[in-house]
Amino acid sequence: MSHSPQPPVAAQRRTSDETRGRPLLHRGFIAAGGMLLVAALATDYAYYATALWQWANFSAWLIAAGLIVMLVAVIVLAIDFATGRAARLNAGSFTLVAAATLLALINALVHSRDAWTSVIPQGIFLSAVSTILLLIAAVRGWSIATSRATAERA
Amino acid sequence: MRTTTLRPIGALLAFAAALTACGDQGGDPARQYGADPYLPEPHQYLLPPMSVPQEIGWKTGEKPTVTAGLKVEALATGLEHPRMVYTLPNADILVVETNSPGTEAYRPKDFIAGKVKARAGAAAKGGNRIILLRGATADGQPALRTVFIDHLHSPYGIALVGDTLYVANTDAILAFAYVTGMTQITSPGVKLTDLPAGPIDHHWTKAMTVSADGSKLYVGVGSNSNITENGMAVEEGRAAIYEVDRSTGAKRIFAAGTRNPTGLAFEPQTGQLFAVVNERDEIGPDLVPDYLTSIRQGGFYGWPYSYWGSHIDVRVQPQRPDLVARAIKPDYGLSSHVAPLSLLFSEGQSLSPNFANGAFISEHGSWDRSPLNGYQVIFVAFVNGQPVGKPVPVVTGFLGTDGETVHGRPVGLALDRTGALLVADDAGDAVWRVSPTQPGS
Repeated sequence: MSHSPQPPVAAQRRTSDETRGRPLLHRGFIAAGGMLLVAALATDYAYYATALWQWANFSAWLIAAGLIVMLVAVIVLAIDFATGRAARLNAGSFTLVAAATLLALINALVHSRDAWTSVIPQGIFLSAVSTILLLIAAVRGWSIATSRATAERA
Repeated sequence: MRTTTLRPIGALLAFAAALTACGDQGGDPARQYGADPYLPEPHQYLLPPMSVPQEIGWKTGEKPTVTAGLKVEALATGLEHPRMVYTLPNADILVVETNSPGTEAYRPKDFIAGKVKARAGAAAKGGNRIILLRGATADGQPALRTVFIDHLHSPYGIALVGDTLYVANTDAILAFAYVTGMTQITSPGVKLTDLPAGPIDHHWTKAMTVSADGSKLYVGVGSNSNITENGMAVEEGRAAIYEVDRSTGAKRIFAAGTRNPTGLAFEPQTGQLFAVVNERDEIGPDLVPDYLTSIRQGGFYGWPYSYWGSHIDVRVQPQRPDLVARAIKPDYGLSSHVAPLSLLFSEGQSLSPNFANGAFISEHGSWDRSPLNGYQVIFVAFVNGQPVGKPVPVVTGFLGTDGETVHGRPVGLALDRTGALLVADDAGDAVWRVSPTQPGS
């Protein structure tokens, strides 16, 4: 993944000192949505272990809430670009988070089934894959875009 | 670089689309009529097949279609979600205006399901009262229409025994003193016994009938979920048919494993109790057939662990092999998702010689099946106290010709004192009267 030598046009337009150092806003939202989706793996496992319906219910709500927060994160990401905070997408992290979120969307449908098959086997499997992707994204700092300050230093 | 990033996402989207768009169409319902219905393999869906017609009601002059030799007219219109109809000995007709007490959304899915059902009229407000209709003017309309009992709580079944009128609210059986000719009861009623209701009260209707000697009431109590998705704790005492002692109010479970027993009646020849039962959803357009069956004392009919005898439902964990081993196969399949809501044995040839021996069954109609199924009143012939042959459609035309709209949905059935068939229509807010074109034919 080679970085382009020149900042994109949008970034070139606004290179004054007032915008250069501003932090990315979307990271916290990605982290919050991601952690809700990760938590669903724990409640899925609890349902698998106990067959108590309330755990499956928690999973369904965690996934639904995670998806809503991820949607908010996308809006905030757009704000990061619009305000010149973000220079470009961070391809690796973006792919990880986008794939995890799409899996979670499918998983929300799986979790809309009734009783055992809402979790076992597909539901808990999708939760596990989402979790692995999101934890890698976490290690990479949750940011799915590169800030202008970083882009200009590079 | 951008295109390589998006390629796996595109693949994922295609995968999701393939999973959801399986377009699972139901087959010929006739394969599932009778004692040995065709049972396909169960499926688990991302989006279960769903088809909910838009409710449009009846325009002036529009009415259902009846089979040859019969005619149909509106006995009453402009009712508030009429579900049950009952004829008193003096020929007065009671109409129960009712609907679900309303359930909270427990899961994200419940919000969506609520919206879907609202489209089909399930969210309409019921009157929570009983209307009395008396007499007939020249145009067939009742000469008198009064509010007979008001302020009920999602009432359903009615049974008059001697001078006591029993009304099954969703949470209790109430007893009212009745004198022939009354047009209004204002007393609050005396509670005979509690019935399983909230929390949730998913299947809220309490169908009720009375034994021939008048000593026992039989009440159908539906499950508190589709298939235990609200946990086993809330299923305590549900999906069962209760026997209630009329003199003491003592009750016991007479038979169990009947997911939603929505209609109960005694077969007149043998005195055997029969029920129509709504089976489980979301494992396919042709699973599980709703059924008509004789109800054996102490019998177990499968729900939730199995269906149609010992076909295991994998959604239920932990399983109960001991119960599955003694699960009774129902007598007669009605095909899947027709939603039978009322069971009425004919009394001789009042409508037609063809309907002398057997039962009328109202089919409220499907929501999780395409093409739609039900939306009619059928007749199932009985020989020696057992259902035989194929169902015969008696009242149809509830669906619009486009297959996407619905004028009405049949629920309660009763015979009036002339032997005409009364059909309560909760989506059309009407009661229909079906009678022979030639009286006495």
